[in-house]
Amino acid sequence: MNVLSCSINTLIKEGLYEISGVEVGQHFYWQIGGFQVHAQVLITSWVVIAILLGSAALAVRNPQTIPTGGQNFFEFVLEFIRDVSQTQIGEEYGPWVPFIGTLFLFIFVSNWSGALLPWKIIQLPQGELAAPTNDINTTVALALLTSVAYFYAGLSKKGLGYFSKYIQPTPILLPINILEDFTKPLSLSFRLFGNILADELVVVVLVSLVPLVVPIPVMFLGLFTSGIQALIFATLAAAYIGESMEGHH
Amino acid sequence: MANSIMASSKPLISLSSSTQPTRVNLPKSIKLPQIPKPISSSLSSKALSFSSATVKSLALIAALAPPSMAEAMEKAQLFDFNLTLPIIVVEFLFLMFALDKVYYSPLGNFMDKRDGEIKEKLASVKDTSAEVKELDEQAAAVMRAARAEIAAALNKMKKETQVEVEEQLAVGRKKVEAELQEALASLEKQKEETIKALDSQIAALSEDIVKKVLPS
Repeated sequence: MNVLSCSINTLIKEGLYEISGVEVGQHFYWQIGGFQVHAQVLITSWVVIAILLGSAALAVRNPQTIPTGGQNFFEFVLEFIRDVSQTQIGEEYGPWVPFIGTLFLFIFVSNWSGALLPWKIIQLPQGELAAPTNDINTTVALALLTSVAYFYAGLSKKGLGYFSKYIQPTPILLPINILEDFTKPLSLSFRLFGNILADELVVVVLVSLVPLVVPIPVMFLGLFTSGIQALIFATLAAAYIGESMEGHH
Repeated sequence: MANSIMASSKPLISLSSSTQPTRVNLPKSIKLPQIPKPISSSLSSKALSFSSATVKSLALIAALAPPSMAEAMEKAQLFDFNLTLPIIVVEFLFLMFALDKVYYSPLGNFMDKRDGEIKEKLASVKDTSAEVKELDEQAAAVMRAARAEIAAALNKMKKETQVEVEEQLAVGRKKVEAELQEALASLEKQKEETIKALDSQIAALSEDIVKKVLPS
């Protein structure tokens, strides 16, 4: 009994914890001009950006009339993004395709990179590499960009008349309408952050409890959730933009 | 170190009380199987005066981690906003413009162009279908003309043959009639001859009868 527990302990200590340690809120800090940054987020985000740009450039560099392989896939993705933007924003969706598409692709590839890429091979002195979206900085950055985007969309479409939407049904709703501008980025960022962090935690905890087989369904569930979260973020961003562009009359 | 862990049934107590080992093998935070064990040691050595559960767990984490780790743990936060946020914003905007240059615009334009070409081709295909209809009508007209011609020729031939047949019929009828007349005439003649012969015989016979009846 003692020997058994010891060996399990050792096994877990030596082998599994190096790939499955739970580290919540630990960051690998870099100093940049007196400011601190979370280096693990930056490193993984660079990798994600490199993956996106590289694969897109590779697949689209010489488009064929009859698409094959990579080009076909990227055309499918682009049509999907256009479809999402068009449904949410309406006929004037064209200029917003890059924003919505980049939101979707960046979040999606980030989430899946956290689940699929073997980041744990690379040891950091502090913290660990994971999906960039499990850091609150990333999700808040994206959510704030969304806020800026829908303000820009509304102001450029309707000028200062955009602000009349705050007293739109009745002026009584003014505080609630103003509150919405704060709850939108808040809910966007926390939804994404919480989902991705919780997903990674669940997988890690399950792996540390039962290393084999059992975590696999949860991992697949995590992949599914990651995709859904990316879609939700992009769709909501598009919906906010469309909402601020449409007429309230 | 693995050996020492193997040898002891409570490896964590020995770990937490020993000098600081390397970072990799140390528990850093929530490592589930190891949490309950060192409570007694850490409590007795460090946190005797505290009684609440949260303080205990804090002390536990502090006792587990080496001093540098403990410092980091104090700093460790979920909601730790710093320069990462604007950097991610800049990175995102860069990614957006780069992807627009590399992916959305070129591929989007390409797809739109191809869509236009396909629509054009479809439209031209519809045009040729009109042409096909015209040709079809022409063919039908040609067929109609040919049919009419054939019908006319047939009618003409029918008429000609009918005329011919009627002519021959008339000729035949005349011939038959002439023969009939001839036969009738010869019949009359024979009748008269026979009657004449009978008349002459009647005279002779009546003379004979008179001779026989009248005794002379």
